[in-house]
Amino acid sequence: MKELRLALTTIKIRIKDQLHYPGRFFTDIVVFATRCGILLVLYWYVFKLRGGTISGTTFQAVAWSMFFYFTFMTFRLRDISREMMMDVQTGQIETLMNKPISYLSYKAWGRIGTGILPMLTVGALGATALTLTVGAPPLMRSAAFFPTLALVFIGSCSLTIAVYTIVGLLSFWIEDINPVFWMVDKAVMMLGGSYLPIALFPSLMYKIAVFSPFGASQFLTHTAYAKWLYEWPMLIGIQAAWIVLLGTTMLIMYKYARKTVCVNGG
Amino acid sequence: MQKSIEISHLTKKFTFPVKNKKAGWVKNLLSPEKREVVAVSDISFSVGAGERVAFIGPNGAGKSTTIKMLTGILFPTSGTMNVLGYDPTKERKKLAYQIGTVFGQRSQLLPNLPLTDSLEFFGVMYDLTDTQIKKRVAELTELFSLGEFIDQPVRKLSLGQRMRAEVAASLIHKPKLILLDEPTIGLDVVAKKALRDLLLTINKEEKTTIFLTSHDVGDIESLCERTIIVNRGTVIKDLPTADLAKSFAFEKYIDLIPTDKFLSFAELPAGIRYLNREPNKITIAVNTDKTSTKDALKAMLDLYDIEDIDVYNADTETVIRHIYERTASRADHN
Repeated sequence: MKELRLALTTIKIRIKDQLHYPGRFFTDIVVFATRCGILLVLYWYVFKLRGGTISGTTFQAVAWSMFFYFTFMTFRLRDISREMMMDVQTGQIETLMNKPISYLSYKAWGRIGTGILPMLTVGALGATALTLTVGAPPLMRSAAFFPTLALVFIGSCSLTIAVYTIVGLLSFWIEDINPVFWMVDKAVMMLGGSYLPIALFPSLMYKIAVFSPFGASQFLTHTAYAKWLYEWPMLIGIQAAWIVLLGTTMLIMYKYARKTVCVNGG
Repeated sequence: MQKSIEISHLTKKFTFPVKNKKAGWVKNLLSPEKREVVAVSDISFSVGAGERVAFIGPNGAGKSTTIKMLTGILFPTSGTMNVLGYDPTKERKKLAYQIGTVFGQRSQLLPNLPLTDSLEFFGVMYDLTDTQIKKRVAELTELFSLGEFIDQPVRKLSLGQRMRAEVAASLIHKPKLILLDEPTIGLDVVAKKALRDLLLTINKEEKTTIFLTSHDVGDIESLCERTIIVNRGTVIKDLPTADLAKSFAFEKYIDLIPTDKFLSFAELPAGIRYLNREPNKITIAVNTDKTSTKDALKAMLDLYDIEDIDVYNADTETVIRHIYERTASRADHN
């Protein structure tokens, strides 16, 4: 009960903090609209040149898949890595380590609180724009769609937090995690379908996207394709397995990371 | 007396990689040379419940490291600690409910939001009910005079206001022990006094044990009844603050004012040395291990035509400086 109250209060406080900077919302929306919009226009043109479908995939499905990817990116859960690195480098970590809270939970709920409002805003605006322009894919009318979307969203959040927390925890040993962050982040972007929609991946790359934690953290992008309706048990299962594995790794790393804390002035 | 803090043979060593210029980058990356720094070396002491203790020492003496070990932030290399019945290395969260911490050089408050949000947030962290939080915030607002700025974003507060807010926030859960790491750093004399008075009040009214590090002699003299001096990671003195000047009064100071002017400055007998030589005033230091104050005065009266004399002990700051310098030179000789 205490954990839930603390989580909700952390989210509330971070939302309040966000509202002090309304300019950030505007920036998030502009960045989202620009990046996602340019890619969608390009893919719309490519699909048009190829007669409307590529490898049996329609532009409508691709557009929704990319929309899910960019909306999820607006959540900015990945920023947990850099926040942790800053805590370690500046020594600010000591102000959290002496509170009766779990540092990892606090950081995770804090990120969720920071990103939730931009994500919901961008999500609502983008979904409306897509529904009006390309329409909703038929699979969205299936009874299983929204429950499984919610499930894979929770899984994607959990796995993203685990992946990027592990990267953040490395800062307890190597301090500058930027090179590792860059590699992991690019792997997530590519295998998540940021540059090329996952439906157009070659077979081997698709397998890597499905079975690696980087791709699995972006399974939201799979929900736009028709095969989601029979693939979801396997994909959510893979995601769950990674969550357990990386979650355990994260906790073990944290146990050792705490012992390596070295704060300036002490 | 019930103990708030008990530490025994506590040691903390830091190791860090050092680049070997003769070795290649592969060796430096995979198998770097390590350098070890002993920040705290085999220290033992205890602090009773309700005590006000200053933990002082020069920069790099190991004060902050010790405080951070006591709060469970840092892990000791060896030794044992017991803080309010808890082992900080194993029971960090349980201990956190009982202690408050203030780091003078770091803020724990939410910078963009009004102070009320930070106080309420900390209340939730310490699992207080909404009613308890409201009541405690009202108490602290009155005690610390937070009312005039409680609705302002923390980043817009003056340093003095922020430090009052930091201390208030650390007391939200009525801790039994408060650990303060240089709480008055950067404050003006008025803000320092206000903060010291507040700490004395909470010690008196809420029986909170105070354990603080500071470079400010005023903090030590006006706030703490006991002083523990550390240098190079070891405890070199642990005594009542009132005895600090007495214990180290191996020197007496004498100001001499001439009838007319001091025209020349004679050689002084053993145990006496000039600190200041001016035509209008001489200040000498008398080493009482070598000569008595009486003999020193006699010698000066024989040497000079003097109108006024002022004999005094070293102030606390001078005593502390002597102690630091003594231990530093001893360590260098060793």
